[in-house]
Amino acid sequence: MPVPGVPILEDKYPSTMDLYPLEAKEFNRIHQFYENLKEKRFTTTKCKKCGHVPFPPRVICPKCNSEDLEWVDLPTRGKVLYVTEEVAGVPLGFESPLIHALVDLGQGRTLLTRIVNCKEGQLKEGDEVQLAVFDIPPMRIEVKGTIREENRVFFAFEPVKKHK
Amino acid sequence: MTVRDVCIIAGGMSRWGVREASIVDMAQEAAKECFEDIPALKKENIDGFLFASSYCGRTSFQVNIAPVIAERIGIKPINMCTRVDTLCAGGSSGIILATGLIKSGMADIVMVAGGEKLYTPERWETYYSEVASVDHDWDGAQGIGLPPPWFAMTAQAHMKFYGTTKGQLSAVSVKNRRNSANNPKAHFQKAVTMEEVMAARPIVPPLSLFDCCPVTDGCAAVILTYADKARELTDRPLVYVKGTAQVSLHSMSMNWPGEHPADWPHLRVAAKKAYQAAGVGPDDIDVAMTHDCFTISEIIEMEELGFCKKGEGGPFVESGQNDFGGKIPVNTDGGLLGCGHPFGGTGIRQAREVLRQLQGRATNQVKGAKIGLTHNLSGLNVEHTILIYQREP
Repeated sequence: MPVPGVPILEDKYPSTMDLYPLEAKEFNRIHQFYENLKEKRFTTTKCKKCGHVPFPPRVICPKCNSEDLEWVDLPTRGKVLYVTEEVAGVPLGFESPLIHALVDLGQGRTLLTRIVNCKEGQLKEGDEVQLAVFDIPPMRIEVKGTIREENRVFFAFEPVKKHK
Repeated sequence: MTVRDVCIIAGGMSRWGVREASIVDMAQEAAKECFEDIPALKKENIDGFLFASSYCGRTSFQVNIAPVIAERIGIKPINMCTRVDTLCAGGSSGIILATGLIKSGMADIVMVAGGEKLYTPERWETYYSEVASVDHDWDGAQGIGLPPPWFAMTAQAHMKFYGTTKGQLSAVSVKNRRNSANNPKAHFQKAVTMEEVMAARPIVPPLSLFDCCPVTDGCAAVILTYADKARELTDRPLVYVKGTAQVSLHSMSMNWPGEHPADWPHLRVAAKKAYQAAGVGPDDIDVAMTHDCFTISEIIEMEELGFCKKGEGGPFVESGQNDFGGKIPVNTDGGLLGCGHPFGGTGIRQAREVLRQLQGRATNQVKGAKIGLTHNLSGLNVEHTILIYQREP
């Protein structure tokens, strides 16, 4: 498809305009986080030497500088501490209202995340939410003159359905 | 090594707003006003140049912009020429770094300029680019570009824990828009009423239109030098950089250092360090430019900077204690809410206003102001930056 004003970009993938992470292993040493996400696992790295479990994941432990890390699971459910509904100024690629929550994952860990599959005005403080994984557009990588497409997923959280 | 006292001696601004101009154009406008503010200074004696801009690489497709601007404005810095980026605090970072260069003797006369061209030919690109100004892979990908959602949570927390009201938020906007009404450089030159602010369309409840600073194009510039040189160049009272601080304890949404979103320990640390360095306390400050990116920000800044007790920011602003005739006049030129916020330019605009206040030549003058403070927070409340300026006795 032609790009108005910049016809030379026709059919090009401008990664500097990509909203999502360059998840492929060629560009990202925490590639495994996204592989785990594809299996609906929400993970981070744990230092095998000092036991520190930071989020987001690292390639080197920020406490002791060890490179000996392993992947561990984080909770995929949490409780809403704050919820906001953005009705104006929503970035391209998202619909209004764009809902965000600060979620208490337990163990002293909070996460600022988008909320999907949720109606306006539905979510309240104290409600339970759970991990939601969804497909996002693939990124493209040039390998020896040919283009490979890397499938990607990303995450948000969604309300846990209440049983009546 | 000699340690020299450092003075700010001149300031200038382009017109701020939705500009039919490039960042390079606006930098020239700001530099011209700054040069004209110190007629005895010869351009060729400026040996250091710092340009603060975050978005130039994005919305102007120009990285390493400092030599481009230096050439356009006709200076040849031989000791330092670089760009700095701390998003909303970039200009203040530049002034802190210039202070260090001059203090140590690594440079003698430094211009610190900065600003942004944020309005792109199609508006979507401006908002879309903002997902680059947070933690791209973790926050940007969640649709958090500009930080209104986080500051809406901040306002919710302040309302929940301290009983702050929407009317108290609105009082900040009414004051700052009144102050910008007679500022010819400001984005907005029209005051707003409490009724208009309260009835405005929502952005992210409880924040509505006038609770949020606008997207703004603009540039600003200041010049700093050592005290002996400043005395040679100007008959105006000298204004010294007395204390600085910049504190980062976490990253964007990750590992927030406070008990809740309205608890800003990184600002408390910055305030303590800056006050100690300047040898003053909050009661000594005569005028302050604090980072009113949102109305709730100015309220919390009053608390964490020590102008009032924690939790009392709402009644403090409602009773006009942050206004002329109150305890501490804040954002006398209109602040971010009135002047707008071209990120790298804001700390420099604040410095220019404090310079004018302490030299007794501000448009909205605080009578007899001797000590001034500027403050910025960056992006998703990720850093706090403070400068304290003092007029010579």
